[in-house]
Amino acid sequence: MSPEKSRGSMTAFMQLAFNGLALGAAYALVALGFVLVLNATSAVNFAQGDLVMVGGYGAAALAAVLPLPGIALLPMVMAAMALLGLAVAALAYFPLMRRPASAVFISTIAVGLLLQNGALHIFGPEPRAAPPVLSGGQLHLGHVVLPYQSLAIVAVAAVLVLGQRWLFAHTQLGRRMRATAQDREMAAALGIPVRGMIALTFALAAALAGASGALLSNQFFVTPTEGGALILKAYIAVVIGGWGSLEGAVLGALLIGEFETLVAAWFGYTVASALLYGALLVILMARPQGFYGEAAERRA
Amino acid sequence: MSSAALAPTLRGLGDRAPWVLAALCLAAYAATASPYGLRVLALAGAQVVLVLGYQFIFGHAGALSLAQGAFFGIGAYVTAILGGRYGLGFLASFPVSILAPSLLAAAIAAPVLRLATHYFALATLGLAQVASLAAVNGGAFTGGALGITGVPGIVFFGWAVPRGLGLVAAVWLVVAAASWLSVHLTRGLTGRAYAVLRGNPLAASAIGLSEQRLRLAAFLLSAGYAGAAGALHAHILGVVSSESMAFSVMVACLAMTVIGGSTRLAGAFIGALLLTYLPEWLRSLEGYSLLAFGAALLAAIVAAPTGIAGALAKAVAALGRTERPILPTPAELPVPQGPSGLSLLVVRGLAKRFGGIEALKGLDLTIDRGEILGVIGPNGSGKTTLANLVTGFAPTGGGTVILEGRNITALGASEIARAGVGRSFQNPALPPELTVLEIVTLARASLEDDLGFRAALAGRDRSDRRERHEAEAMYFLRSLGADGYAHALCASLPYRAAWRVEIARILALEPKLVILDEPASGLTEAEQGELARTLRRLARLGLGLLVIEHNMPFLLPVADRILVLDEGRAIASGKPEEVRQNPAVISAYLGRKVGLA
Repeated sequence: MSPEKSRGSMTAFMQLAFNGLALGAAYALVALGFVLVLNATSAVNFAQGDLVMVGGYGAAALAAVLPLPGIALLPMVMAAMALLGLAVAALAYFPLMRRPASAVFISTIAVGLLLQNGALHIFGPEPRAAPPVLSGGQLHLGHVVLPYQSLAIVAVAAVLVLGQRWLFAHTQLGRRMRATAQDREMAAALGIPVRGMIALTFALAAALAGASGALLSNQFFVTPTEGGALILKAYIAVVIGGWGSLEGAVLGALLIGEFETLVAAWFGYTVASALLYGALLVILMARPQGFYGEAAERRA
Repeated sequence: MSSAALAPTLRGLGDRAPWVLAALCLAAYAATASPYGLRVLALAGAQVVLVLGYQFIFGHAGALSLAQGAFFGIGAYVTAILGGRYGLGFLASFPVSILAPSLLAAAIAAPVLRLATHYFALATLGLAQVASLAAVNGGAFTGGALGITGVPGIVFFGWAVPRGLGLVAAVWLVVAAASWLSVHLTRGLTGRAYAVLRGNPLAASAIGLSEQRLRLAAFLLSAGYAGAAGALHAHILGVVSSESMAFSVMVACLAMTVIGGSTRLAGAFIGALLLTYLPEWLRSLEGYSLLAFGAALLAAIVAAPTGIAGALAKAVAALGRTERPILPTPAELPVPQGPSGLSLLVVRGLAKRFGGIEALKGLDLTIDRGEILGVIGPNGSGKTTLANLVTGFAPTGGGTVILEGRNITALGASEIARAGVGRSFQNPALPPELTVLEIVTLARASLEDDLGFRAALAGRDRSDRRERHEAEAMYFLRSLGADGYAHALCASLPYRAAWRVEIARILALEPKLVILDEPASGLTEAEQGELARTLRRLARLGLGLLVIEHNMPFLLPVADRILVLDEGRAIASGKPEEVRQNPAVISAYLGRKVGLA
């Protein structure tokens, strides 16, 4: 949509900003799952984007069998994805626990390859869509159109992000997961089942990816190869937000969603992507610790 | 010829026999292959070159670059544009195809190679995405999404190499040249220097090797090889599109390297041939080949970290006789004679801040030749920070460090190590997969600039020079009583031997000043006594020593002077017995920690 066609530039901007928020909210779930695994294992899970893709197909496939609204399918997709997350941990993380972090990076690239081609086999190359969370209607706020699906994405993402915060801040399980992420040896010494906590982290990350996939695939459809672009955005969000920061990852994802939507509206999607990657390179060169800063320089 | 002289020749033949056999098989296959088979064989050759290049940065330097696919694509596009559009021959387009990605790598190297693992991977991935977008949206220049067709075959001085067997021969000649260069660069001590970089970057800096320079050289070579591979690919296919630059090219290259083996020549051949032919063999299982690809990559990274080539080498080694390696005879080196006059080390106003904490607040100190300065202080008083700043392992936040009148404040760790300041670390900085003899030998070679690809090209890191460095290394190991461990892997070294190896590695660089960080921790009393005698012996030779230590019964008798740090400041300095009685010291440190007689 080009802005000239809209009635006022302010309305157009508001509309785009809202669209960007909805996109960013879905990205936030991807980035959050990425950073959870990163903290728990110090390793990059490169299959996180492909897990989103699987979540999208999962929702679409489930809808074909169970004609229920998206909101009812969502918990089922998340539960199934949690199991897939456990499988990823068992196949691609635990055997490499004592190896350099780049080994996990590579093993998760392999998992991504398996997921992509598995999806291609089962579902074929045509894009699929999952059912909307509630219904296909929309809300009008002045001239700004707020589709229910976009509102639902923002709401679901907010609930999941806050839920994850609550889990970490107020539950024994969350505290144990955080302790494992901070210092594995110390956590083990305190009797925390470290492997179990890491497995749970993978499950949680995959469930978040699944939710993201189910939400995104209604509007944007899902194809077997979409994971690559998503992981890159999650990765960038985490860099912008400060490596390892959960809040930073969510903020970074929202920022990327807005950036992409706004820049694409004026200059096209290619320019938006090129600028995003260009900005990433500049950020990495100038401020590798991100905007919010990593943990302070280590005392030697 | 005597049988003793014949043995190495025969062994050399034995080493080469599999290669000769493989080359003959390849030639026999090529002679009988169909045109399609020849095309696949040529494409496989291009992949071998791509993987050989990736071995430099990923295998040897140990950095996960995700730009190798993009460099390949750039090489392919350059050849397509120069050959297809401007009608230039191979001799013009091939060098430019190699040069273009290398220049791009050089341009981004300075900021990118500094980055830690994940950031480096992401930055190179970002670069690849930008390159790919540029290819798709390059308009008429890159042919857009359709790409460029009509790329000519290989043309030498107006003579077109015939497609089919001729093209295969030309491609595999390039493979042979690339292999020769690769082996030449990495089989000597330089290859082992990269193993230090992978295994323990601190150890690399400590023996005077610049991490930056080693990584840069590997990155440039990998880009150049990728460009060459891309150029060959373009000549073989005759078409170049954005698919030549897709992430799948990168993933395939990574898989070939991991599955074949990331540092061995055979690994590049095994990985590239296997993964090029796997989809051909699995043709009946249309579409499942990429699944098999992913499964093979996962299986390799989990079960065979050194790849098929590494596993084969291990199996062969297990089958063969285990000859007990002969220790080199130690060289006899002259006793070093340091010049006298100036103070050895003068530190003025040295400061360092970590966020809000001032770790060092303007510290002054001097060390003379033949002097042992003991540095004590409570935990967090700035002792290790002092060592890190003087040796360049952390940037200073103010102040100057002068070594024999030369300002070394701004130098990097490897330069300072070569300028004459050696150091040990609280945890010995020894690369796990190298032998004791290797690490000390590398320190000797580093001192004479015999490491790095330039030295390797000139042959300075092999044969007689290597033997001399080994003999000299044995001298230092023997003088520390560690010659018995020469062939032990650093990873399996007992704690009581590690300090001997660390000091041998330090002395091998012929330092003027030696900084030891808690050398006595974990040692028995007898070992501590031997360490103390060693330190006195080094001081008598004219070396200055700075010894950081908590163990007072060890340090006080051995030190000439003691410097007491507390909260980043010197609170006392003087002879051990003076410091021992200084009330400020007793209240700040000694009184709390150690009961003093």
